[in-house]
Amino acid sequence: MVQLSRRHFHRMALSAGAAAALGMFGRGVAYGAPGSGFRAMVGVFLFGGNDGWNMLVPTDTAAYAAYAASRQTVALPSAGIVPLAGSGLGLHKAMASLAPIWDKGAMALVLNTGTLATPLTKATYLSRPDLRPSNLMSHSDEQEHWQGLRAQSVNRDGFMGRLHDRMGASGVPPVISFGGNNVALIGQQAQPLVLPSRGVLSRYGSNSTAIEAAVNSFAGGTGLDDVTASTAETIRDAYAMTAATGAVLGTTGSVEAFFVDPATGAALTSDVSQQLKRVARMIEARSTFGHTRQSFFVSQGGYDTHDAQVAWGNVVAGTHANLLGDLALALSAFYKAMEALGLQDNVTAFTMSDFGRTYRGNAQLGCDHAWGNNHLVIGGGVTAGGVFGRYPDPTLGGADDISNEGRFLPTTAQEEYLGAILKWHGVAEADLPYVVPNWATWSTNGRGPIGLYG
Amino acid sequence: MASSIADAFWRFLALFTANGSSTPWSAGLTAFDQPVTTIDGAAAVPVDVLRLARQASFGPTPQLVSRIGELGIPGWIDEQFRVRGSTYGDLVKWVPNDYCSDKTIANCWQNHFTRVPVAARFYADAALAPDQLRQRVAFALSQILVVSGSGVNSTAGIASYQQVLLDGAFGNYRDLLGKVTLHGSMGLYLSMADSSRSAPSENYARELLQLFTMGPMQLAADGTPVLAANGAPVPNYGSDDIKALSRALTGWTYTKSGGRTDWTGNDYSQPMVVRPVNWAYDTQAKAFLGVTVPAGAAPADGVRIALDAAFNHPSTPPRLARLLIQHLVKANPSPGYVARIGAVFVDNGKGVRGDMKAIVRAILLDPEARGAEPRGGGFGKVKEPVLAMAGLVRALGLQTDGAAMTLRDAALGQPVFQAPSVFNFYPPDYPLPRSSGLVSPASKLYSAGGTVALQNLVFDWTIKGEANRWDWNAANSLNGASSSANTLPLWAGWEAIAADPDRLVAVVDLLMLDNTATAAQKQALRSAALSITNTNAQLQARKRAQALLYIAASSPNFLVDR
Repeated sequence: MVQLSRRHFHRMALSAGAAAALGMFGRGVAYGAPGSGFRAMVGVFLFGGNDGWNMLVPTDTAAYAAYAASRQTVALPSAGIVPLAGSGLGLHKAMASLAPIWDKGAMALVLNTGTLATPLTKATYLSRPDLRPSNLMSHSDEQEHWQGLRAQSVNRDGFMGRLHDRMGASGVPPVISFGGNNVALIGQQAQPLVLPSRGVLSRYGSNSTAIEAAVNSFAGGTGLDDVTASTAETIRDAYAMTAATGAVLGTTGSVEAFFVDPATGAALTSDVSQQLKRVARMIEARSTFGHTRQSFFVSQGGYDTHDAQVAWGNVVAGTHANLLGDLALALSAFYKAMEALGLQDNVTAFTMSDFGRTYRGNAQLGCDHAWGNNHLVIGGGVTAGGVFGRYPDPTLGGADDISNEGRFLPTTAQEEYLGAILKWHGVAEADLPYVVPNWATWSTNGRGPIGLYG
Repeated sequence: MASSIADAFWRFLALFTANGSSTPWSAGLTAFDQPVTTIDGAAAVPVDVLRLARQASFGPTPQLVSRIGELGIPGWIDEQFRVRGSTYGDLVKWVPNDYCSDKTIANCWQNHFTRVPVAARFYADAALAPDQLRQRVAFALSQILVVSGSGVNSTAGIASYQQVLLDGAFGNYRDLLGKVTLHGSMGLYLSMADSSRSAPSENYARELLQLFTMGPMQLAADGTPVLAANGAPVPNYGSDDIKALSRALTGWTYTKSGGRTDWTGNDYSQPMVVRPVNWAYDTQAKAFLGVTVPAGAAPADGVRIALDAAFNHPSTPPRLARLLIQHLVKANPSPGYVARIGAVFVDNGKGVRGDMKAIVRAILLDPEARGAEPRGGGFGKVKEPVLAMAGLVRALGLQTDGAAMTLRDAALGQPVFQAPSVFNFYPPDYPLPRSSGLVSPASKLYSAGGTVALQNLVFDWTIKGEANRWDWNAANSLNGASSSANTLPLWAGWEAIAADPDRLVAVVDLLMLDNTATAAQKQALRSAALSITNTNAQLQARKRAQALLYIAASSPNFLVDR
């Protein structure tokens, strides 16, 4: 292996040559001044393509009528929408638990955002196939485009991982996932910490020195091929991270109490709630790890709602309502936990998803793969009442639709959205082109990160 | 291999014996005798034989390496094409979808509406049944043509679907595509069932092209992407193709069983049928992928034309060749390897396209798959958790009905037959950590949590592997049978071997380390064994065996198949 591993890096970072090593890798040199106290970003990836058009619904009379006319089988009734004051939009009723956060001015809405390699109009979309993201509407490709931020090529690393490359952190990685290994987390040098959403992380091991010596003789074997050497390092890292984080995950923190359903008092059990509870725990324990910046990846699956998205005879129920209900309860619990820690303005939670879904519902009470989508940003001191981006013309086949089903061309790029959060998190101007590969495209002609934080 | 070598070695290996099939394979419960071999006999087994066992079975056992030795590698592959053993047929027992409203039926939900009985059968057969290659190919197919228990709540449906894959593993890929497309479980999972012309679902149409055949971008015959003048990949299809294809796939619904006509009668274990109404199927002409389904064609014609177009697309052979190689042999096949297998997909030598037997044989006999263990960039693949667990079970020689594995696989990140989505548990291009450009699909499952879960499993089933383990004796009441001893360790054979520490090292090296442990590693194993002492010689031997199995199975050498 030519590349130095993180393990090696840690070892060196403790040595007198640490500064030289940092310089050698260009890490930690240009990362923005973290003097402004603790900050964390929490990306929530909604796998399968969340129907953001039913997460945020227009509430003004004419706009709602246009919504209902185009959405057809999956349109929510007005009674199924919780208005967000002053925005002209409302949340799916299943997400009512988030409305108080909006009322506090701690939530922002980001409209019709999607993967773009370059700004497009409907005319340029139609005439210039070479400018489109590759494999649009493919789950796997669009997930990678969101996580890697390269919309026209293969993504072998992602924005949180590249951020990590520039942080120069040692010890327990400050890029942490409870939603599995994902491209977003992979850096060109740095490795994330990926932990389970439930259970205690502890390694059963032998207390015999001879057995441990034999284990190490294999794990530290020399002359291994690339795949085996990488796997050996994965095993060694897992052991080290177990030792470093097991105690934090194994004890109940003060944040646990907030992860309950406010209506019933029952503990939340959804996987996304377990993940966000652990994020809250890691934030609570930030000083144990010496973290002044943290980045988290959590996920919720099941959003590929081609059928039964809404229930027959009661469209406010169904698969999508259940998913959004779990998500909203988990996010509102997380926000309350951050308030209790006094960190609600220091921690931003935000959604991502493969793509939006077709505006027109299909005959099986579901909808198909589309493009632009709506997202939520919570906490972090977002602009109160902030609504960013532009809601599309909902006419099927209209000015914003690249088809006849309501596949809206995004008017805000994923990099303008995530770039705003990355800048807030502390990425220096000099590092933006590394962390956000197409930054030059999105920082010219009056574009740039959306003004989430004013 | 040279017959002279084989003659010399297999005499030693004849000391391995099998007690075979006194119980029907379908009942799942039988066991191999424990490995008994000499130091020289173990060391004499060529690495290539052990490599084949890792590639084409769920892991080496003494019986398996002996059999490969008797027949030679091509001979063993040909025998595997004839052997039958595993089946899910007896699990295909339809029940109405409101069956569990009768609260008196014990374990009703588990046994009729989950993957659990099918998964247990899978593990029992992986551990013990003789048709290892068929099972490995079916397992690979189950991760390409994915149906998941998280979307299909029907034990009979999942079992029937796996039976289709098992039966089709050595058939023709086009036939398999036909059965998969119209299977009730797939109809449910990807919403083709009840899709109708007023607003057809695009779900199955899209994944048929993206995942089951050609993939989204044009591939050259060697699997590398075709690039346009500006360097961008060239798409294989557009939204209009998907839309027209989805219209061609309208008009189907579930077979109803038990004389029922409402949703409770939906039978997810049967092929779908055409809906007997005149408004479901789109009878207009549809054009996609350069072909046309003429106006007025029957629904079955629409399916046939669609599947033929996808199957005959030039990107389909290299794409499937690469996926199958990744499942069986290595994560980073060379373009030449993909091209050679793709060519066999196109023509099996007799003008037949899609002959799985020829494809599988070519994958395993390719120069890139055979020979002494290779070193260097890009060789081998990480064992996905299911293969690591099954390989451990086979090396230990556990007798099992598979239930114990169903209690552990979710924690390992791979509950078999319950992928998180149709994109399976991992993508084929997931990057190998700390490498530039190499991929390692299974590495996605080895987070700190996943890695520790596997290490803990190994620890539990070796050092803590006494017969009274909770997860080996869980009263799971699979299919209504109360099994009190689901999984049994048969330590007697290992105790016999471990009486001699050098022999123990040799057999562990053979079964778990591909006979590739270095001198230093063998010495470390030997020292670990000798560090364990007990006045009871039998107990000492067992504990030594358990410790060495733990060390070997927790090693990267076991976890990577090269």
